[in-house]
Amino acid sequence: MSTKSQILSSLKNSIKERFPMPDIQIDATTYADPLAQFISMTKSVGGKVVELQAGDDINQLIRSLYPDAKEIASSLPEITIATRNPDTTPTAQSLNGTDVGIVRGEFGVAENACVWIPQTMKERAVCFISENLVILLPKAAIVNNMHEAYRRISFNDLGYGTFISGPSKTADIAQVLVMGAQAARTLTVILIP
Amino acid sequence: MSNTAHSKAAKEFLKNQKYAKWHDQTFWSVRTKRDNMAYGLKEWEQLRETASAIKRHTLTHLDQYLDQFSTNAEKNGCIVHWAKDAAEFNEIVLSILREHNVKKMVKSKSMLTEECEMNPYLEAHGIEVVETDLGERIIQLKGQKPSHIVMPAIHLNHDDVGELFEEKLGTEKGNHDPTYLTYMARLSLRNEFLTADAGMTGGNFGIAETGDIVVCTNEGNADMSTSCPKLHIAAIGLEKVIPNYDCLAVFQRMLCRAGTGQPTTTYTSHFRKARPTAAPMHIILVDNGRSQWLSNPEHWESLKCIRCGSCMNTCPVYRRSGGYSYSYFIPGPIGINLGMLRNPKEHSGNVSACTLCLSCQTVCPVKIDLGDQIYKWRQQLPSFGTANPEKKLMSSAMSFVFNHWGIYNSALWVSPLANRIPRSIIYLPLNPWGEGHEMMQFPKQSFHSLWKKGLSH
Repeated sequence: MSTKSQILSSLKNSIKERFPMPDIQIDATTYADPLAQFISMTKSVGGKVVELQAGDDINQLIRSLYPDAKEIASSLPEITIATRNPDTTPTAQSLNGTDVGIVRGEFGVAENACVWIPQTMKERAVCFISENLVILLPKAAIVNNMHEAYRRISFNDLGYGTFISGPSKTADIAQVLVMGAQAARTLTVILIP
Repeated sequence: MSNTAHSKAAKEFLKNQKYAKWHDQTFWSVRTKRDNMAYGLKEWEQLRETASAIKRHTLTHLDQYLDQFSTNAEKNGCIVHWAKDAAEFNEIVLSILREHNVKKMVKSKSMLTEECEMNPYLEAHGIEVVETDLGERIIQLKGQKPSHIVMPAIHLNHDDVGELFEEKLGTEKGNHDPTYLTYMARLSLRNEFLTADAGMTGGNFGIAETGDIVVCTNEGNADMSTSCPKLHIAAIGLEKVIPNYDCLAVFQRMLCRAGTGQPTTTYTSHFRKARPTAAPMHIILVDNGRSQWLSNPEHWESLKCIRCGSCMNTCPVYRRSGGYSYSYFIPGPIGINLGMLRNPKEHSGNVSACTLCLSCQTVCPVKIDLGDQIYKWRQQLPSFGTANPEKKLMSSAMSFVFNHWGIYNSALWVSPLANRIPRSIIYLPLNPWGEGHEMMQFPKQSFHSLWKKGLSH
């Protein structure tokens, strides 16, 4: 008998009573102004929010936010200042040393500042390996909470997606909060019209 | 009376009073942060109730959900393995690594690999394993084990870490600033991510309906571990599988709020298949006792645990004795219970590390009756041959006195005499209750006699 069937039959033998699935109807918190809540949560988790004004150029805006950035990685067609492209990079490793990575977020979550980022590039390392991460997020795409978020997420054929809320952080040394553990040290969400 | 293994170990912890106090206060502040999060959501109790019911349902249909999970993961292109115990798990990991000619593997935090003692096994077979969660990396460099399931290096202060990094990472002498040390660890780990041949993650959840492995981290180390190397192995215990995204939303909202008092972890990553430039992803489902524990009528609900750590953060005994005072590798209330399921003979010494205050089950996001279970384990100690004979004798004597009112009243009448026994005798080592603890003073008059006279006077 395979280990799989051994384990499954052992489970069957162990289960005495099968409990029903509960009705998952959570009376969840919603916000009068989800965008305002999303902005305030992003700041409280250590991120930054900047709004792209109508008529402004996204490349100029990013440049002004990171004037010293040399290596900029993005596969988004509207990002013309990119020096690296995660779609054509020879290896994930060669994205190391990226000062600013720019990716697109599908929607944000008001309750906890999560932004859903499905993998749309060949090497998703850009989301983590970059020193600073910029997420472009449509301003109107904010849901209240994770219940709404999980009803909305979808996957493409690349089979990976992540919610990101703020920069990488740790408190593993003496419980002192430090931004920039192993992934992006800063996070900026740019709200686009 | 002999002290329990836990209280003996706790004595070591308490030798450094300054640190012990810091430990206690630190965890109380984490508990306070958790409270702010819980009170901030009107639906918190509803979430707990639902989370508990989902877990009860899932665990009692685990055969079906595991089958569904593995079918969907295989449809996604993953290779699914089943391991009945730690030895089989370790062998599977080694065989995958050998097949891909892996010399070095980076990994994110996993209590399961601690449970199976995977790292020493792989190292003995020539594989270099690098922990990438900062806390795990610190204790790996130090040659220690985690003292908390979410904050594994909580037993070390910034000077301990600073000195360790001076020796192991060549950091500046005397610079023990946590920001500097974290940055130096980042640089060193970055190099490991870039040069590793494989990355391993645990998983906070497996989703039956989609085959996703969901990993929650603050550092982004699980994502770094899997976005550069050419191979990803994910290892989860059987009980981590849940039905679908509606269920996941409930747990995602609670995990970090309960554990560290944050509204979410920084990263909640869903792995469905390998990167287009990598080898197929491997998933290992590990039993190692779980399918048997499920048959225990009184204790199977310990398997509902989502490993948030909130029960240890709030536990007055954990806060004042530290993770190393427990004999099982998971400390605190959930560790006491899981240790007893694992091996009651070996881990009975932990069940006394509980005041039955039930703070743990008040905060547990999936409503495990942790304290009640500890009480039940205590009743079973005679059947494991681990009951303390002196406590047993004492209990039967007390039971005799309390059941015979004449004897009880005479004992009460003479009890104030005990107040006159000199300290040197009362606090002899023979009296374990006199250790680190002031004995009570017997009142001149008992409640009983006051009542008879009429309390109103």
